Amino acid sequence: MTPSSAPARPLHSIIATAGASLLILAVTLYLVLPIIALFFRTTPELFLASLANPEVTSALLLSLATSVISLIIVILVGTPFAYIHCRNTYPGKVIVDTVIDLPLVLPPAVAGMALLVLYGRAGFIGQYANIFGISIAFTTLAVIMAQIFVASPFYLRQAKSLFDQLDPAYELTARTLGASPARVFATVVVPLTAGGLISGAVMTFGRALGEFGATIMFAGNLPGVTQTMPLAVYVNMAGDFNAGLTISILLVLISFAIMIAVRYYAKTEVPHA
Amino acid sequence: MTERKHHLSIICIVSAFLIMTALLAGCTGTSSEQKVTGAPTGTPVVMYEAVTTPLRVAEVTTAPVTAPATATPKPEYTPADGTVIAYTAASLKGASGKLAEGYAAMYPGRSVVFNLDGTQALTTQVENGAYADVFISASPKYTKQLTSGKYFVDGTVKTLTTNYVIVILPAKNPAGITSLADLAKPGVKIARAASTVPVGIATDAAIGNLASSTYGQAWNDSVNRNTVTYETSEPSVATKVALGEVDAGFVYESTSTAAKTGTYQSVTIPKSDNYLQTYSIAVMSGSGKKSAAKDFENYMLSDAGQQVLLSYGFRPA
Repeated sequence: MTPSSAPARPLHSIIATAGASLLILAVTLYLVLPIIALFFRTTPELFLASLANPEVTSALLLSLATSVISLIIVILVGTPFAYIHCRNTYPGKVIVDTVIDLPLVLPPAVAGMALLVLYGRAGFIGQYANIFGISIAFTTLAVIMAQIFVASPFYLRQAKSLFDQLDPAYELTARTLGASPARVFATVVVPLTAGGLISGAVMTFGRALGEFGATIMFAGNLPGVTQTMPLAVYVNMAGDFNAGLTISILLVLISFAIMIAVRYYAKTEVPHA
Repeated sequence: MTERKHHLSIICIVSAFLIMTALLAGCTGTSSEQKVTGAPTGTPVVMYEAVTTPLRVAEVTTAPVTAPATATPKPEYTPADGTVIAYTAASLKGASGKLAEGYAAMYPGRSVVFNLDGTQALTTQVENGAYADVFISASPKYTKQLTSGKYFVDGTVKTLTTNYVIVILPAKNPAGITSLADLAKPGVKIARAASTVPVGIATDAAIGNLASSTYGQAWNDSVNRNTVTYETSEPSVATKVALGEVDAGFVYESTSTAAKTGTYQSVTIPKSDNYLQTYSIAVMSGSGKKSAAKDFENYMLSDAGQQVLLSYGFRPA
């Protein structure tokens, strides 16, 4: 192939390189081309004009606000939960372990249906809330609950794996020096695992942001109250195609930022046992 | 040595790219029987596969089945050749089972598969390349849109059936709604379809008519305030009402008539204020089996097909 005086590479080596290149190219293009196509289907003017659309901005703000709140709740509740789960053996630990992964395999629409059947005003728990005048379904609270349900496994699994890997020697040493368990957790465990926890948190945020099926089933679709960005994309697909494209592009940009953040933070290693 | 390796890698990548582009260009456009793209996840899509009769080669008494013009011609008739793919407005979900049976009864050996979704979603799919043989639209707006986009075969666009809007209530009627005026009571939860959905268009029109003729703008505003969700298809509205999660929902009369006794209560909208939705049926210009599609359309427009629709609460065309 290349004109040179050195001996040519053996044929099987060339075929291997060609095959490998083809594979890498195919995978990369399959993932990247649809994203690029989004950008080419609209123009910068149309994009900016759509940004001024109140439905687009309300969907953006609602999505960001609910995803952030969902993330904070998952972190505040999930981190101690994962720590206690990892450091202790208790009856039913295996079941809890399996149940944490459940939302990952459950289709989101099914999750939404299940939440509606439980927390809706005709539901097992919801009917009691309804007596007190508390509505759960079709509110922003429902959006947050749906997001927590589908996105929490990402954080919990990551936290579990980090705490499992963390050498208990550090915590035990801190205890012998007189620190309370809570202080050990806050000042020893969390700083050591922070990098991995942040990457888990970022993935959770991305999943919560993109949630569609559970949201539309449980929270409904009301602009400004429950219409998150993915719902707005779907609703606008017919009618205002440009608004749909704009929201899709916004989601792509946010997802891209999330991806970079995950790659940066995931680099930190946990001190192994 | 490394420099030569470097050159070799670049040549491999470029040739791989060219090969892939050639393959992509070659694959698209030859086969007319492309995969049906389903609706995006999250919306309830019902695909109904009619009872396919066993392989009968020479017993088709009606119009001959045309073999689709594919790159690899099929030598003998198989039931799959007669499967018509019908992109259908979601409000026909309840009737789809009987319609498929009736079609197979009229044209033995044939079958139909329904892709049921909001007409607006189906329109967008078709405009972006989805394959269908027949399109049943619940709204003149989308029929016009597709006609001007030349998606239909000329002369096949026919009125299929009509439908009025009605307000349904959960069986227990938790909010105690007895009239349309009650819909404006504070605290009432209403479900309706989004304004891009055909039944949503009809709902908005009916509410507007009711406001200007009888109940006033304040009533209109209250109804809008009481709306807790704008669903993306008509059956979703009915589901929310059936579950008792909302106090009222705007759906088609057909949904209320065809439901099992005791599922809903209802409040009718006077005909003078109501919006008569007109459904159309048409053969797709991109269909690979136009004669089978025309046969299906003929069935839907025939007495047999119309009877099924009437039994499910639709009105005559």
